[in-house]
Order: sequence, then structure tokens, then C-alpha cells
Amino acid sequence: MASALTDTWNGEDTTVAEIERELARLRRSAVEGDATNMRTSVMTHCVWVPPEWLEPAKDTLSGMGERHPSRTILLVPKPGEPNGLDAEVSVRCFDAGERHICSEVIELGLRGNRTLAPASIVLPLLISDVPVFCRWRGEPAFGEPAWGQLVGVVDRLIVNTSEWETLRFGELAESFDLTAVSDLAWANLHAWRIALARCWPAIREQEIHIRGPLAEATLLHGWLVSRLDRPVAAIKPADELSVQLGGEQLAAPDREPLSASDLLSAELDRLDRDRVYEQAVRAA
Amino acid sequence: MSQVEQNPLLEGLGLRRRPEPCTLVIFGASGDLTSRKLMPALYSLAYHHLLPERFAIVGAARSEETDDEFRARMKAAVQAHARDPFDQKVWDKLAAGMHYTSLEFDDETGEDNLSRHLANIDEEHGTNGNRVYYFAVPPSAIAMLITALGERRSAQGWVRLIIEKPFGRDLASARELNALIGEHFSENEVFRIDHYLGKETVQNMLALRFANGIFEPIWNRQFIDHVQITVAESLGIEGRAGFYEQAGAMRDIFQNHLLQLVAITAMEPPIDFTADSVRNEKVKVLKAIHTPGPKSVVRGQYGRGFVEGDEVLGYREEDGVARDSTTETYVAAKLYVDNWRWADTPFYVRMGKRLARRETTIAIQFKRAPHPPFEEVAAESLRPNVLLIHVQPNEGISLAIGAKVPGLGMAIRNVNMDFLYGSGFREGVPEAYERLILDSMLGDATLFTRSDEIEEQWALVDAMAAPWQRDHPAFPNYAAGTWGPPSGDELIHRDGRSWRRH
Repeated sequence: MASALTDTWNGEDTTVAEIERELARLRRSAVEGDATNMRTSVMTHCVWVPPEWLEPAKDTLSGMGERHPSRTILLVPKPGEPNGLDAEVSVRCFDAGERHICSEVIELGLRGNRTLAPASIVLPLLISDVPVFCRWRGEPAFGEPAWGQLVGVVDRLIVNTSEWETLRFGELAESFDLTAVSDLAWANLHAWRIALARCWPAIREQEIHIRGPLAEATLLHGWLVSRLDRPVAAIKPADELSVQLGGEQLAAPDREPLSASDLLSAELDRLDRDRVYEQAVRAA
Repeated sequence: MSQVEQNPLLEGLGLRRRPEPCTLVIFGASGDLTSRKLMPALYSLAYHHLLPERFAIVGAARSEETDDEFRARMKAAVQAHARDPFDQKVWDKLAAGMHYTSLEFDDETGEDNLSRHLANIDEEHGTNGNRVYYFAVPPSAIAMLITALGERRSAQGWVRLIIEKPFGRDLASARELNALIGEHFSENEVFRIDHYLGKETVQNMLALRFANGIFEPIWNRQFIDHVQITVAESLGIEGRAGFYEQAGAMRDIFQNHLLQLVAITAMEPPIDFTADSVRNEKVKVLKAIHTPGPKSVVRGQYGRGFVEGDEVLGYREEDGVARDSTTETYVAAKLYVDNWRWADTPFYVRMGKRLARRETTIAIQFKRAPHPPFEEVAAESLRPNVLLIHVQPNEGISLAIGAKVPGLGMAIRNVNMDFLYGSGFREGVPEAYERLILDSMLGDATLFTRSDEIEEQWALVDAMAAPWQRDHPAFPNYAAGTWGPPSGDELIHRDGRSWRRH
């Protein structure tokens, strides 16, 4: 599918009502061409993205409109700036044979006190009756209003604990009963988990040593502890993940690492709670 | 005890059950089906890690070819037709287990050689005597091969037979073939393939009906006016005159694909999604189809015409076709499913070659609103709701509803609410053959046709085609690139209805 049409509107110091009006106008202008344009309503995808994460977030999102035609709402908090709401709204349509599939991207700059109640800005912009996903870039603001409000609004929260300087798993676990949680660091471990599952039943009794980046190694450790129901030696830091079983190095999974877009894409297809992940986090 | 109970590390990994080690033998490995469909499907299964760890492929055909030549030919086929990108590592692993054997299907020595070859492969690849035999050969060769394989059947491992359509050419020959298979193999070892059942959209029909509470209560004669099923191809016979002259549209499409679509549309909810539950319900529909009288069946044959701007030959002008051929390239019929749910609800079906466009659709036309409270002008433009299932191309579903045209008056227009597969899901749609080959390796026959189902299909086809033997139709009766003969339109116009506008 190739990108066919993009139409954009920018507004400074705007309102949610104005954003909705402009969005409707852009959608109408997108259907005026020869081909039939379809607005697809599979989900609303919110992204909480502090300014320092904006570029990587946009890189990840580029191309995802084709795979996940949805309404994407980028929330960029700027608490130090004067109160106000800025918006850039675009409707992007992609060729799909005789039709175009259209998705919408709303980038909102939340200035000053607008960062305190993001849910009140997001709620009117959600597509009705479809799931809401929220990708929280960087370290969560546990205990702050933005975190609590968005957790209360979304059906699935997606974090990447590899982006955290401190692993605050205890606080993350408090969200498990409020919303389903995905972790891209955990998703990255899928091939390792398959490799380790294939070592059953020997792994039941073997001595296990894990080295690797903090988040991945901790999650793998927590997973083994929770699944095998026995202690596993403490992790050691390293740049690359590696696992030793019974003194033998386990071969690293023979798979190309997934791109950030692919990882996020896979999580946007999930709707259920990941109990195995939750247990791994609680055991970590 | 389940796999997860045995191994707690498997929980949440979402791994599909992988088939046990086995050897897949393809009879007819030099044919078009093998290179266009089977090998690309096997490659995609390998690409997605769905094939068994220990797996071998043996291509068998009459022509002489070395293992390396076979691999090279199959590699080119995969590069040309597979839906997944070509990955040398995936290919190398698949090709390492690939062999070829030249075989005259009626030659006892050749069959013995094949058995020895397979035994060696078992040793080399650890495939434990498990075999999947794929019969991509003409019906005449199937009986010979079944007998030869049955007589040489080893006690080690399991056997599965995948048999391509057409399964027989009438009820008598289908029964004969079923009986022959039954002498050597049990029904749960037989997988009669109808690739339409492997299509996502056909399976989605089951999801649409049985996973949505809103449709099933209105899926009956009280609310549905009629059903239209169209299986239209814009292509001609593509050099398959030998086959098509014998088969015609009735045996090529109606007997299998079309009746399967009718069965899936009309069946009662199965108690579960196991092979026998689903197939029991489909057989009940086939049994309930009332044999249509001659006035309710129309056949046609295309003459010269234009398809997508190109002038194309008439059927009788195609290579290998008799100049006075009476083979039908178009069939339309009005069917009734005589049961409580569908009594008096017509199923209009049509299928053909060289029609205006390639399209397979199931249209459920609901009854009109009983008393629209609008002015006369507005009420006239009211159309009944239509739920349209696009099987191919542009797989998806649309629902036509009446909506008020904005303005001061009360004009009403029909608008479509669409769901396109490509727009809703990130996953690529797997090819039907991928699903079906994998299911057969796993021993899941839900999407395959059972012996009694095949026999019911043939019984209906034989009864419908019987009067044709006495007729001398005035063929050709429709121009290539149109929607079939005028008599096809009259069939439905007589009832005050019309085919969907495309």
C-alpha cells in the first residue's frame, strides 16, 4: 500500500471542538477524489510522548498507518510553557486497490496546566466502541495525574521498560487490575522464551545464569522464577542477553530482531491481559 | 495432560501446534498446481515456522528430473509466487529435505521404488513413516495410486491422503472412488480438498454468523428475501480444454465451490468447531436442497467478446475445444433449501467463465421495510438491506443501509458500510493452501469434504444435468465480457427480482 493523500491542519491555542471540526472537514475533503475513501475504525491509539521522545515516536509510527489504520493521538506534554493547546491534525490515505484506507493523526501539544487533565482532552477525541491503546514513551509518571487518568481511560497500556532508568515494577504492577499492560522489552524476549521452553524438562533442575540489559534480564529472570516456581541465580549486567543452563551457554535464538514498529504493531493486535507477563513482573 | 500443563514455560507463547515429523509426497509434481500453489504454500509455512522440525518433500511425476533440477524449478516457483519474501536460509532448510522421483503411475516397479525411497527418507530425515500423499493428478490416475499405496501400506506411522477436485465425475464414480479408498484407508485419513474452504473469507462467514449475536436471529426466511451467490471469472479456460470439455462449469465450480458456499451460508450452528460437527451440518443442508426443475437451471457458453478491452475468442474457438462443443461455461440456478429455516427462500446462484469481472460474492438480501412512513418519492428510492460477503477479490463484508440525504426534504439513498480485510487487520491473509496443507498434517479435517458430502453434491449435480443430455443448446449464447446469457437474467426476473448490480 502506498501513501496517496495527506491533508493537514495546524492550530495554535485551539480547542477540542475546533479540532473535531477540522478533523471532520479533512475527512470530507479526503472523500472528494475519484476513489472511495474508507475511514477505518479499528482502534484509537494514544501516545504519551515527552518532547525528547517525539522523533523516535514518529519514526516508529511512520508506516504504521497502513498496518493499523486508526486514529492516533500524540500527546506531547510541555508543562513549563504557558497554558494552552496546540494541534496538528492530518488525514492520511493509503492506496488499497479501488479504494483508499484513511487514518487520522492528531498531534496535541499540551502546554502548562493542560498537562494536568489529559484524559479530558483525549476522551472527546476517542472513536466510539473500539479499543483504546496507549503507548507511554519513556519512564511513566507514576502517581501523577496524567498517568492515573490515562490508565483509567485506555484498554491497553504499552510501555517499554528498556526505556526506564529505574525498574519500578512494583508501581507498574499496581496498574494490572486497572488495564491490560504490554511491555515491548517483554515482547522482545519471545524468541528467548521459546528457546528456553524447548529445554524442558531438563531446565526444571538446571542451574540458570542470566546476563543482559537490565530490563530484559530482569523480566526473563522473573519469568523463570514464576514459571519454574523455584529460585534462579541473580542476574548480571551485560550489553547482550545470554543464558547459561547447567554450565552450558544456550544458543541465542536465530531470529532477526524485530523493529520498533513491528514490536508495537504486534502489541496493538492484543486485547487480553498477559497473565504470564504480570506474574513475571511480580516475581522480578 | 496438555502441553502447557507438562511444560509451564509454554504458557502465553501462543505457539501453534506443530505437526509431527512427516514426508509429503506430491503426485503430479511437474504440474501447474505444484509450482503455483503447493510449493509457495509450503515455503510460507516454513517461513512462519509452522512445518515439522523433521520434514521431507518428495515430488513424483512421470517426467524425468534429478533432485537438483526439481529443487531449482521449485525455487523459481517460490520466488515467483510465494506471498512471503524469499529468504535463502528458509529455502535452504526446506530444499535440504526435497527429493524427486520419476514415476509411471500404473507401473508396479515404480511404486516399489517409491516405497523404498520413502523408507530411506524416513531413515535420513527421521520422519517416522508418517506420510501425507497429495494427489495433484487427473482423476484417472487417483484410483491406480490409491490401490498401489494401499497395497504397500506399512504399519509404521500415520497416513493422510489429500485429494484434489474433481472427486469423480458423477455420483457413481464418486461412490466407486470412495469405496476403493475405503478398502485401504479410513475416512479420517482422507482429506478431499476444496480450496474455497481454506479461504479466510469463507471461514469468516462462520465467524460472521456465529460470533455476532445480531445476525443469527435474522438469518432465516422471516427476514431474508433471497440469497445470491456469484462465482464469476473473467478468465477463459487457460489451455485446460482437455479438462474443461469433460467438466464444464457444473463439475468445475458448481459441484464443489458453489455448493460449499451454499452450505456454509445455510447451515445451522454446529455445536462446536470440530470436523464432524461442522460437516454434519453442511451435509444436512445438501440433503435439504430441492432438485431444481429444468426451468430453474440455465446454462450458457461464451462466444467472442471483449474482456477488459481485449478481444477474446469464443469457447468453441479455443485450442482443443470441439467446434460444436455443448460444454457449458456458465450455469445459473434457483435453489431451495427445504428446511424450517429456509423454506420458500430462493438461493440464486450463478457461475461462469469469461464474465464481466472476477468476483466471488455472497449477497444476503433482506426483506423490505414493511411500512416506510415517508412520502411516496422517498419511499420509492428505498432499497432493501443487503449484506454482502466479498470472498474474492477485496475480501471483506459490506452492509447496504438506507440513509437520509442531507437537506430539507426526505430523500433516502443507499450507502455501504464496509469492512475490508486489508484495512482492518495487519496480518497478511494466508493462502488457502497453506491452511489446508497444515490442517491435513495436523489431522484436522474440518475444512475438508467428507465422503457423504461429496456424494450429496454429485447426486444434486447428476439430477440437474440429466435433462441436458437430451437438449441441443443454441451455443454460444453470451458474449465474453458480459454477465451471461439473457436467460440467466430471466431466471431471476421471473420472480420480480434482479441480479445485484456490480
